[in-house]
Amino acid sequence: MAKRNPFLSETILLLLFLVPLLLVLATTDLYPLAFSTYLSTTSWSLIDRGASAHWVGLSNFQNVLRDTIFLDSFRTSLKFSLGATAAELILGLIIAYMVVGESKTMRVVRTILLIPMFIPGVVVGTMWRMMLNVNAGIANYLLSKVGIPPLSWFSAPGTALPSTILVDIWYSTPFVMIILVAGITTLPANPVRAAMVDGASRWQIFRYIMLPLLAPIITVAALFRFIGSFFVLDHIYTTTYGGPGFMTNVMSFHLYRQGLSHFKLSYVAAASWLMIGFSLIVIVVLTAIRRLLERSAATG
Amino acid sequence: MQRAYIRAQMGEGLFTFFRAVVIILSLLFVIVPLVWLFINSIKMPLEWLSIPPVIIPSKITFENYIQLFTNPYSDVLLCLKNSIIITLAATTLSVLIGSLAAYSLTHLQLPFKIVPVLAGMVLLLGFYPKITAVIPYFVIMRNLGLMDTQIAIIIAFVGLNLPRTVWLMMTFYEELPKEIEQSAMLDGCGPWGRFYKIVLPLAAPGMAVAAILSALLCWIEFMIASSLAIVNAKTLPIAVSAYLQDKGMHWGPMSALGTLTVVPVIFFCIFVQKYLVRGLTFGAIKE
Repeated sequence: MAKRNPFLSETILLLLFLVPLLLVLATTDLYPLAFSTYLSTTSWSLIDRGASAHWVGLSNFQNVLRDTIFLDSFRTSLKFSLGATAAELILGLIIAYMVVGESKTMRVVRTILLIPMFIPGVVVGTMWRMMLNVNAGIANYLLSKVGIPPLSWFSAPGTALPSTILVDIWYSTPFVMIILVAGITTLPANPVRAAMVDGASRWQIFRYIMLPLLAPIITVAALFRFIGSFFVLDHIYTTTYGGPGFMTNVMSFHLYRQGLSHFKLSYVAAASWLMIGFSLIVIVVLTAIRRLLERSAATG
Repeated sequence: MQRAYIRAQMGEGLFTFFRAVVIILSLLFVIVPLVWLFINSIKMPLEWLSIPPVIIPSKITFENYIQLFTNPYSDVLLCLKNSIIITLAATTLSVLIGSLAAYSLTHLQLPFKIVPVLAGMVLLLGFYPKITAVIPYFVIMRNLGLMDTQIAIIIAFVGLNLPRTVWLMMTFYEELPKEIEQSAMLDGCGPWGRFYKIVLPLAAPGMAVAAILSALLCWIEFMIASSLAIVNAKTLPIAVSAYLQDKGMHWGPMSALGTLTVVPVIFFCIFVQKYLVRGLTFGAIKE
C-alpha cells in the first residue's frame, strides 16, 4: 500500500474544520457586505427586487454627503460619543481605582457594579424613560427633595442629548471599570512599591506611576467606548426615538430608520460604508496612540 | 518627623472616606434604578403615574405580571419562547463551530502566512457596524423565504458570535501545553481524535466563557432581531420595545416585562461572574 502523506491528510482535515465557520461567515458577513457594496453603487429598488437597478457610481455617496439630516446625525453622534466616552473613562477610572482588591467584599461590589452592562439596551432605555419622566419620574422627585427645580430630561431639545449620555453612562461605565480594574491589578508591583518606600503620597503614585502605565489600556477602553457609542441604537430607540425633533438622531438610529422604515436601501448602504471608513480612521489613530503610549511606558 | 507621619495617616484616612463615598454612590446609582423598576412592577394602576411618584406602594399586586401573559393582544409568551430557543441554538452552534475552527487556526500550517491573515480577517469581522449587514441580510432572507423565522435569526446570531468565540478559543488553545498533543500524535492520533479527546476537555473553561458571552449577546440583541422578525420570530427585546410604542404609559406591565428580562441576567451575573470577567478582559490586556 502506498504510504499516505500524513502532513497532507492532517492539513486537509484541519481545513475541513474551518468549513462550518466559513459557511456561516459567508452568509452573515461576506455576502451581505458584498451586496451592500453593490447596493451603494447602484439604484436598487425594493419594489421590483432590483430589476431596474443600474450602476450609478458614487452618486449615492454624494447624495448621502449632501443630506443635511445625515450630516446633522453625524454631528449628533460625535457629540454623544465624545461626551459619553469622556465621562465613562473618567468615572470608570475613579471607580476602578476604588474597587480593586481580592477581598470578598470588593468582588461582590464589582459584581453588582457590572450588572447594568448586561441588561438589554431596550430595557435600560425603558427604565430610564420612566425614571426621567418630567412629572411622574423619580428623578425629578428626588431633585425636588434637595431643592432643585425639575429638569426636562428627554422632553426638551437642549437636555435630550445629555440625558441620553447619562443613560449610556449608567449602561457602559461598568465595561470601562472592569477593563481598568484588570489593568490596575496587572500593573507591575515594583515601581509602586519603590515609590511607596520613597515616601510618595497616594496621589503622587497614581499620577506619576500608575497613570502612565495605565495609559495604553485606557486608550483601548476609549477605543471600545467611542466606537461602541457611535453604533448605539437600543436605548436611543426606547428613550427618545431620535427626538425631540432630531436632537438625538444619532447616526446609527438615523440609518436604522431610513433602512427599515423608509426602505432607502442604497442610501443606507452608502452611508454605512462611510461609517465604516470613519471607524477605521478612529481605530488606526487610537491604536497608533496606544502603541506610542506602550513604548513610553516600557522605557519610562 | 512625627508631624509628617500624622499627616500621612490623616491623608490615608481621608482617602478611605472618599473611597467609601465613591463605592456607596456607585452602588446606589446601579441599584436604585433597578429597585425602582421592580417597585413599579408591583404597583396598582392608579399609582403608576401619580405625581409625586409613589415610592412605597400602598398595596402590592402581581396583576401586572399576570396581565403580560394573559392579555390576548400580548405575545410576551411567544417572545420568551423564541428568545430561549434562539439563544440556546445560537450559543451551542457558535461555540461548537468556533471551537472547531479555532483549533484549525492554531494548528494549521500553510505557506505565506495564510493562517494568521485568515485568523485576523475572522477577528476583524467582529468589528464593523452591523447596520451595514442588516439591510442586505434582510433582503437575502426575504429572497430565501426565511423572513420572520427563528432560523434566520439563529444564523445571524451565530455569525455575530463567531469572531469573538474563535478568538477566545484560540487564546485558550495557545495556553495549553503542547506536549500532551505531541504524545498523542506519536501514538497515531489524528486531528479529530486529538481535538475531541484531549484538547476539548482541557479547553472546557474557555468554552464556558464563550458560551456565557454568546448567550448574553443573543438574549439582549435588538437591532438584527427586530429587522428580521415581524410576527412569528419576535424576541424578548422586541416585546419590550413594542410595549413602549403601543402602550406608552402602561408603566405597570412595562416594568414587569423589564423586571422579567433583568432578573435572569442578575442571577446569571452572580453565578458566573468569575468567568465573565475573564472573558471580558481577554483582549484588552497584553499578557
